[in-house]
Amino acid sequence: MSNRTVAGAPAQPDSASPNAEPVGPRHDRQRFSKASLPLLGPAAVLLIVLFLAPIAYSLYLGFTNLKLTGPTARHHSFTGMENIHRLLSDGVFHQSIWLTAVFVIGSGVVLTTGFALAVAVAMQRAPAAVSGTVGIIVMIAYMIPPVTIAILWVAAGTPGGAITMLVGQTDSDLLHTYPMLLVSAANAWSLTGLAMLQFSAALRNIPEDIVEAAQLENAGAIQRFVRITLPLLKPTIVTTVLLVSLMSLANFAIVFLMTGGGPGTSTMILPVYSYQQGFFFNDLAYGALIGNITVVITTIFSALFVRFSRRNG
Amino acid sequence: MSTATINPSTTSVAEGPDARSEVKAKRFGSETVISTVILIAIGIFFLAPLLWLFFASVDANASARLQWPEFTLKNFTEAASADNMRALLNSAYISVVATLVATIPATMAAYTFSRHHIPWKGPMLLFILMLSGVPVSIMIIPLYEQFLTLNLLSLIPAAIFLGVTSLPFEIWMIKNFIDSVPSELEEAARLEGANTMHVLLRVITPVALPGIAAAAIFGFINAWGNFLVPLVLIPATDQAPAPVALYGFFGGQMVRFGPIAAYSLIYSVPILILYLAMSRLFRGGFSLGGAIRG
Repeated sequence: MSNRTVAGAPAQPDSASPNAEPVGPRHDRQRFSKASLPLLGPAAVLLIVLFLAPIAYSLYLGFTNLKLTGPTARHHSFTGMENIHRLLSDGVFHQSIWLTAVFVIGSGVVLTTGFALAVAVAMQRAPAAVSGTVGIIVMIAYMIPPVTIAILWVAAGTPGGAITMLVGQTDSDLLHTYPMLLVSAANAWSLTGLAMLQFSAALRNIPEDIVEAAQLENAGAIQRFVRITLPLLKPTIVTTVLLVSLMSLANFAIVFLMTGGGPGTSTMILPVYSYQQGFFFNDLAYGALIGNITVVITTIFSALFVRFSRRNG
Repeated sequence: MSTATINPSTTSVAEGPDARSEVKAKRFGSETVISTVILIAIGIFFLAPLLWLFFASVDANASARLQWPEFTLKNFTEAASADNMRALLNSAYISVVATLVATIPATMAAYTFSRHHIPWKGPMLLFILMLSGVPVSIMIIPLYEQFLTLNLLSLIPAAIFLGVTSLPFEIWMIKNFIDSVPSELEEAARLEGANTMHVLLRVITPVALPGIAAAAIFGFINAWGNFLVPLVLIPATDQAPAPVALYGFFGGQMVRFGPIAAYSLIYSVPILILYLAMSRLFRGGFSLGGAIRG
């Protein structure tokens, strides 16, 4: 590597000449280096054995009659499209897809990103004491574990709880009146810190002289935000929106613990439904199939976001 | 840094520097007020549920209500039973193993993705990103089935698996951080004859430590907080970690919020201490600009 760089050094005047190819090969990056293999190896092996193999196995299990208990727990067999037919006529499943979309977009994209962006931008101007305190509170909300979050929010949503008091509905049980809103708020509450970290880091990387130049040109706060901060933050916003919505689906334990999908099936997002079928109704195969659908939907979400970000970028 | 850039520009402003700075000061004032109001409003929303946790944990009449506590420590003594403390130790064990399993391979892979030429790098990174969004539930069912047949339903295999679930996201976090590290430092080391391993350990790792630490925090929290994986993959109750113990509290017929709040606090505080320790690392990391300019 180092030899190549040294050897490349005398050649630099050539490539710097105006006649040279503008996208000529870079001497420091052109080839696949054997040094990459041992560096990628451990991550690759772990991901293949404990991540991809289970997913592949799950894809297969979705087409079997595997149960948690009973005769087909030990000796399951391939049942072809049977589970698919059941899925297509399953009303709870149809509702579950809609609820999943509401949860991911409402909680992950709108609430989490909105809170995080507001906090990160406001922190730049507010007094250090306020920024520091709010920053720590938001980070604590991100740090504390899902089980604690679920307990906090169950308590907060019951009559007399913290959130019912804040919204002035002291007598109502929010977990029964607005279950989806409450689990979405709890999820956003827990993920804002992560998004805030990304935005704060990106805001710190915006060169101060650009902002100061705009200030000297009498650009207002909103103008500066829309014309300077937002465009410079766009790559970070896109990746953060993507990561936070994916994490909302991965973070389903909060919903599982708060409502178990209920009341009725009103918060039965796909990962919760998959778990419920697999381990409450003992139908591991059907649970695996619903999990597989979740992965397909996750992949579509990811692909859409990536395409969207490329088109704009 | 900011004063250094302001000085030349203010001297170049010939007409009415006083008026200008006055306008600027006013604008700064209103921006500060609006920012402060927004922050306090959001802060209250984030603080209120936390406040309940602190109050209920020391409240003799604890309930789901947010109320001023009638002070007692009985909730904590009740929460600190031998079984619950063992559950905390199990959590620590699981989380340390998972963090190491995730962060070391992730750092190596992230550096390689950031700096080396790898065929199909873009698609591979997108694939890894998509993996980070795969809900763990889909792997619980096949893993339960496989671990059952291989007789692996216990603490360490579950911990290693929890580490692997953090791996894709950690690769992304660390790669994004290394991407933002200017390559001048590295090129200087290479000109002095440093090899890849040396560059990674001596140049990249120290400079990227805030990013690696952030990824490690993520990995630790992920393992510490996950309760579905240990619930299914660790059947032995004496190996069960804290969240499973907490779930047991919560699942009972009579929910007693005092001990639950106390145990939640005991369970959550190690994470907060870790965060405080890591935030010092962060502060060191942001002096990075000086390393290049100097």
